[in-house]
Amino acid sequence: MIEIKGIYKNFGKLQVLKGVSCNIEKGEKVVIVGPSGSGKSTMLRCMNLLEIPTYGEVWLEGKILTPVDPYLHKDIITKSKTFKQLAEKERSENSGLTDEEISSKIIAEIKKNDLLKKYEGREFAKAVKELYKSNYIKTNLARRKMGMVFQHFNLFNNLTILDNLTLAPVKLKIKTKEQAEEKAMQLLKRIGLEDKAKEYPSKLSGGQKQRVAIVRALAMEPDVMLFDEPTSALDPEMVGEVLSLMKELAEEGMTMVVVTHEMGFAREVASRVLFMDGGIIKEENNPKEFFTAPKDERLKEFLSKIL
Amino acid sequence: MRFDIFYEEFITKAGYKMLLEGLKNTAIIAVFALLIGLVIGSVIVLVKISPFNNWLFKILKVIGDIYVALFRGTPIVVQLLLTHYVLFPLMDINLEPVVEGVITFGMNSGAYISEIMRGGILSIDKGQMEAGRSVGLSYMQTMMKIVLPQAIKNILPTLGNEFIALIKETSVVSFITVIDIYKAFQSIANSTYEYIVPYLMLALVYLVLVIIITMLIKLLEKRLRASDKR
Ligand SMILES: Nc1ncnc2c1ncn2[C@@H]1O[C@H](COP(=O)(O)OP(=O)(O)OP(=O)(O)O)[C@@H](O)[C@H]1O
Ligand SMILES: [Mg+2]
Repeated sequence: MIEIKGIYKNFGKLQVLKGVSCNIEKGEKVVIVGPSGSGKSTMLRCMNLLEIPTYGEVWLEGKILTPVDPYLHKDIITKSKTFKQLAEKERSENSGLTDEEISSKIIAEIKKNDLLKKYEGREFAKAVKELYKSNYIKTNLARRKMGMVFQHFNLFNNLTILDNLTLAPVKLKIKTKEQAEEKAMQLLKRIGLEDKAKEYPSKLSGGQKQRVAIVRALAMEPDVMLFDEPTSALDPEMVGEVLSLMKELAEEGMTMVVVTHEMGFAREVASRVLFMDGGIIKEENNPKEFFTAPKDERLKEFLSKIL
Repeated sequence: MRFDIFYEEFITKAGYKMLLEGLKNTAIIAVFALLIGLVIGSVIVLVKISPFNNWLFKILKVIGDIYVALFRGTPIVVQLLLTHYVLFPLMDINLEPVVEGVITFGMNSGAYISEIMRGGILSIDKGQMEAGRSVGLSYMQTMMKIVLPQAIKNILPTLGNEFIALIKETSVVSFITVIDIYKAFQSIANSTYEYIVPYLMLALVYLVLVIIITMLIKLLEKRLRASDKR
């Protein structure tokens, strides 16, 4: 469903993601844990392009969201001038190797040393363009399929709860106003807040806000939900109501990617847990193995601190 | 101080008519200039803070910067004189002086309002834009529906001040032959050689005007804040 391939993200000089790849299948519940500053939020935000990866690609349901990263495509690299020159040289110096051996050797060298230049000839440019043109999806369209829940809720402060839920579906002409309101009221009823429909967000408690934020995302009928520490900003007594709504979603089969410090939730709900540290995925496993038999030293340290 | 002379000129000889004319012009210029300023200010600020970085927007951003620098860097009187005596005659444009005043003041306040609005927009939490984008709304849609409404509410008091400043600054439109409040009292002073009362009255009229407007703005703010707590 979501595939991220070789993602790097730099903020100026700071390297936050250093080559992250991850494939999220339909129906999976992937929980991402890791120490503060390890790049969990950045990875999540790269999935719906709130951050644009410096290198690497993001794919959603077979469609590419980012520009094409030529380093990820051998068949594109072989069309570059740089490749052709290096191959020529290699062939004359090292005639013992087969074409295939030469090719993989040079591709490895090009990848390792970032040898591709801005302009690599027409054939190369055409290959990049073709791959993009036949697979791209517009960012705004892709985002409709990915609901996002933020740590600080980010409800639209100038709109009523009902309008928070109906704004996007109506504005994007996915639903008529009546349809959107009907759906919104259903969703509000589900979280027991239908009587707050006409209130403004400032009137809600943190837990209520976050549950509204979740159903606001659901109002777009997304294929996958991304959660970035949805309970971290909540008072302890409100964490439960949000987690139980998330569990419900999980049971209904929603594909979910959740960054959280709630290890209980990870254990109970996750189909896979990822450990991020220093901008890479250090370890991933099913929750049972992940928590009982961690292999990575940093993960062991992390778990011993948090559990 | 001769009130009788002032009274004679102001009431008996109908000098008040000129004051009414002056009040009308002041109101027209201030109100329309504010509206024009809001439109121009919004356009400038949207260009300036837009995340788009193609060559078109780069040029537009430079133009915006130059615009603001020009209008903030010269006194409004100079801008008025240039419009009335240089720019419009050169372009063969022939407008009522009041309209020229509206245009000049509008463009001038556009420069100031763009800066006010910039502060207002930057004060809105980044999460609002991100939330809008995350449900698939475009930058412009989120800006118009979510960020700008909140920003404008935040800057309303400052916009009120801008309006008051406009009212006071209109006192220079007589430079381009517009009859305003100042002109009305000046003509009484000139024809009677009695300066004290007319100019005291001039100050009083401005003061009352500003007090009334301040109260209206407060009322509006209160309304808005009340609607917040619905
Ligand atoms: N927009 C940005 N500009 C500059 N630096 C950033 C930006 N966003 C994140 N960073 C930096 O990137 C690093 C990783 O941030 P990220 O938010 O992804 O970490 P995290 O794993 O989510 O941590 P936490 O558990 O504290 O939320 C941090 O050092 C952070 O300061
Ligand atoms: Mg984070």
